[in-house]
Amino acid sequence: MTALNALDVVFPAGTFTAVMGPSGSGKSTLLHCAAGLDRATGGEVIIDGTPVGGLSERALTRLRRARVGFVFQAFNLIAALTAAQNVALPLRLAGRKPEPGEVTAMLGEVGLADRAGHRPGELSGGQQQRVAIARALVTRPAVLFADEPTGALDAASGREVLRLLRAAVDRHDQTVVMVTHDPFAAAHADRVVFLADGRLVDSLDGPSGAQEIAVRTAHLEEVMS
Amino acid sequence: MSLAWHMVRHRFGGFAGTFVAIALGVALVAGSTTIYLSSRPEAPERYSASPVLVRSPSVGKNSYGEPEYQSWTAAEATRLSARLAALPGVTAAAADPVFYVQRVVAGRPTGDPTDALLDGHAWSSARLGGYRLSAGTPPRRPDEVAVDGAAPGSRIEVLTAAGPATWTVTGTVDGPGFYVADPAALTMSSGVRVIGLTVDGDAAQVATAARDVVGAAGEVVAGHDRNSLEPAAVTRVRWLGAQLLIAMVGLGGFVAVFVVASTCALSAAQRRREIGLLRAVGATPGQVRRLMYAETLVVAVLAALAGLPLGALTAPLLAGPLVGVGLEPAGYTVTMQPLALAGSFVLGVLVALAGVGAAARRSSRVPALDALREAAVERRAMTPLRWTAGGATAALGAFLLAKMPSMPVTDRSTAGLGAAMLLLTAAALLAPVVIVPLVRVVTWPWRRAAIGMLVREGTLVAVRRVASTAAPVLLTVGFTVLLTGTVATIDGVQGAADADKIPAATVLAPDGTPGLTEAAVAAQTGTSQLPTRVLITHGGTTAGYYAAGPASGSGMVLDKATAAELRASAGDGVDLRWADGSTSRMVVRAVRAEAGPGMLVPRELVRRHDPAALTEAVLLSGSPVAAVGARAMTARDYVQADLDEEGELVDLFLAVLIGLTVGYTGLAVANTLLMATAARRPEFRTLRLSGASGGQILRVTSAEALLAVAVGTMLGGAVAVASLGGFRAAVEAELSRPVPLVIPWGTAATVIATCAVIALAATALPVMRGTRAATG
Repeated sequence: MTALNALDVVFPAGTFTAVMGPSGSGKSTLLHCAAGLDRATGGEVIIDGTPVGGLSERALTRLRRARVGFVFQAFNLIAALTAAQNVALPLRLAGRKPEPGEVTAMLGEVGLADRAGHRPGELSGGQQQRVAIARALVTRPAVLFADEPTGALDAASGREVLRLLRAAVDRHDQTVVMVTHDPFAAAHADRVVFLADGRLVDSLDGPSGAQEIAVRTAHLEEVMS
Repeated sequence: MSLAWHMVRHRFGGFAGTFVAIALGVALVAGSTTIYLSSRPEAPERYSASPVLVRSPSVGKNSYGEPEYQSWTAAEATRLSARLAALPGVTAAAADPVFYVQRVVAGRPTGDPTDALLDGHAWSSARLGGYRLSAGTPPRRPDEVAVDGAAPGSRIEVLTAAGPATWTVTGTVDGPGFYVADPAALTMSSGVRVIGLTVDGDAAQVATAARDVVGAAGEVVAGHDRNSLEPAAVTRVRWLGAQLLIAMVGLGGFVAVFVVASTCALSAAQRRREIGLLRAVGATPGQVRRLMYAETLVVAVLAALAGLPLGALTAPLLAGPLVGVGLEPAGYTVTMQPLALAGSFVLGVLVALAGVGAAARRSSRVPALDALREAAVERRAMTPLRWTAGGATAALGAFLLAKMPSMPVTDRSTAGLGAAMLLLTAAALLAPVVIVPLVRVVTWPWRRAAIGMLVREGTLVAVRRVASTAAPVLLTVGFTVLLTGTVATIDGVQGAADADKIPAATVLAPDGTPGLTEAAVAAQTGTSQLPTRVLITHGGTTAGYYAAGPASGSGMVLDKATAAELRASAGDGVDLRWADGSTSRMVVRAVRAEAGPGMLVPRELVRRHDPAALTEAVLLSGSPVAAVGARAMTARDYVQADLDEEGELVDLFLAVLIGLTVGYTGLAVANTLLMATAARRPEFRTLRLSGASGGQILRVTSAEALLAVAVGTMLGGAVAVASLGGFRAAVEAELSRPVPLVIPWGTAATVIATCAVIALAATALPVMRGTRAATG
């Protein structure tokens, strides 16, 4: 089965890209391949100038640790660790001791400075997702990948998460790639690319309204069916 | 490391199995090694006032690995004692002849028969134990004795190797034993093997001076070396106890590794998503592996710290029972053994790390993507490593089992245990291969019912989970059946073999005594042999041989094996040294297929040179004549009594080892099922929402638990029966006659039922808690 086919896409630095497409269109696979979680059977993935094709598992892990951040739909945090410990985890795994205030500042950026000592079980879903964003950003990665980050959240929490991602792009020149099927979420992005059957079929450049994205999506689904 | 600590603290439930397994394992090993190390050879109490002792020369080792000693003759002992007594710093030198005396009260021999063999002493040796007369005078004439618990002037009835006697008490001694005049003691004992010195100077200097005097005629021991004078019978009791302890430690260690490994494997499988997440946020495979080891290290250290006091405090409580069942000598006490505790601690931690090894390696290969996958779809149940390890252990186990009949008897139980462990490990490793077809067969009749379908399909997609829960059952059932079956089969063979040789006759056997006196034997009409041990030097080496004296005959008769060993044929002369230290040259009169214990010499010579020897039994040809310390019984009963005594000890060993295994694996069954079921709560919630009642869910899980027990039982039973079959074939080949295969159904049924009950309880608990949470 081929999930992605003859797909050529670049996510320019400092931009917020939303990847959309119907279920099974290969958008998650694209994200996993681009992030170096999964290996493409053909073609090439280049992360921040480094081709990942020939890297060993160890080297790939190191690359991910240094250059790539992740936010998943759910189950993002290690249940045994506090919010602060979760945020510090990538640094510690890299063998680096967090600088004083580094972790607190990161939690402050996502508005959870007062929840540093709480465990995931004591946080709401939206708060957990914000801790996950803080953890993904703590290493100042070249690119942040988010896989349906609002999929498991209520509308208000979802908006807060999207606002944080947008702020990371605007304030810190962060590159963000987000997979979503929600036009309202995609409306926060600078650019929306549409996937179907593992191919890039369409794209919208510049900030677009949710209305416009929804129309485009509906049109695509009509064509595909 | 701090991450590991947090992990352990947060989800201790997942590590509880490892914790308990290691804590109990450490307690077991700490307790056993404490008991083992506390059991050191000790110089007999009656040498306590003699810091320097001289022992007759050793001439090699017997087949038990114990040194063989050559006695001094009475004349040699007396001469040597006189020279030693003259040394500066020596207050007295006393030869210590030992002989059999047993007190008779109201016509019945009293006291422990085995101890009685060493109860007779010369009066001058009483001072070696610091024993003094509290009343009366020392014995001077034959038939006079100084003893504890009898007033001077009274008369006591005793049995000696010669027969019943009445002795006059001349003095009361404040120590154990019967003390007779020195010349009398020398004539009643079979040579002298120890001369004790009492000193008023420096013991070390005396020992050095004594060495110069003694030269090659003996060995001077002082200080801790005196402990090597422990009687062989006492050492043998310690040896027996050590066998059980060694088996316990080996089995305990093995089962602990097994339990830890299966717990860790299950826990690692359940934590795939968490590990995937760690990998996604940047943990390298090496870091994941180290995390798993670190977690286990934390748990193992805590568990070992909990287990140590448990073992150290339980050990002293076992001293009494161990002495009671004859696995430790009288007077045995348990002392604190820091080395045992430290060793057990280290062992516990190493065992835990060994157990987690496979799981850690597996976990480190979890791809980061697994954090994103919702479903618990299993990977291939069999990996190449699992195939290889399973095949290798199976081959090794089979090899050991095939070799067993040709091994020395003493090594057989160890080999059997090792083979059982290997084969059962192989079965556990290879279990996933047969689980699928086995489950299909077992659940076939219920495939249409909802519960049957759920059980069947649920089990078929979770082969590894079933393998994990079935593994401890497999181990328990297989181990029990194999071990008891092997022992029962060997017993059957031995019983049958011995029974074949018994003529339908009446024998006169010892009754409350270690053997029959000369008087008791002489009164009977029948045949008997008086056993002794002689030393024969051949080709530069000296070895001990059992010899026996039949009632009549002259010269020496050898069996073929002994004749071949000595390269002697009829007409040759053989130089032998008797138990009393004297030598004579015997002419080989004949070589026969069988000759008693291998060598027959005239009874009258045995009696003369081994005055303390006792006859084992008389095969009667006339009607029995009553004698003190003897009774008549059928030959079959006589052999049976012997077998029963041995059987009791074997049964005790089996009971301890099986109890240990069942206890441990019961724990593992409970643990794996608790863990597996608790992790499936979301699944049960879905079932409930689809309309299943709490009772139906309970039936599904109970059926699954029973299925796991059934799979484990079948695999364990199959391994055991197959191994038993192989073992029987080997025994049959050796004996070249059919041997009945004994399968211990009763024991097996008990063990299986225990496993089933534990499994049901362990599944019901989390399910009931889970469904209550879902409804509440």
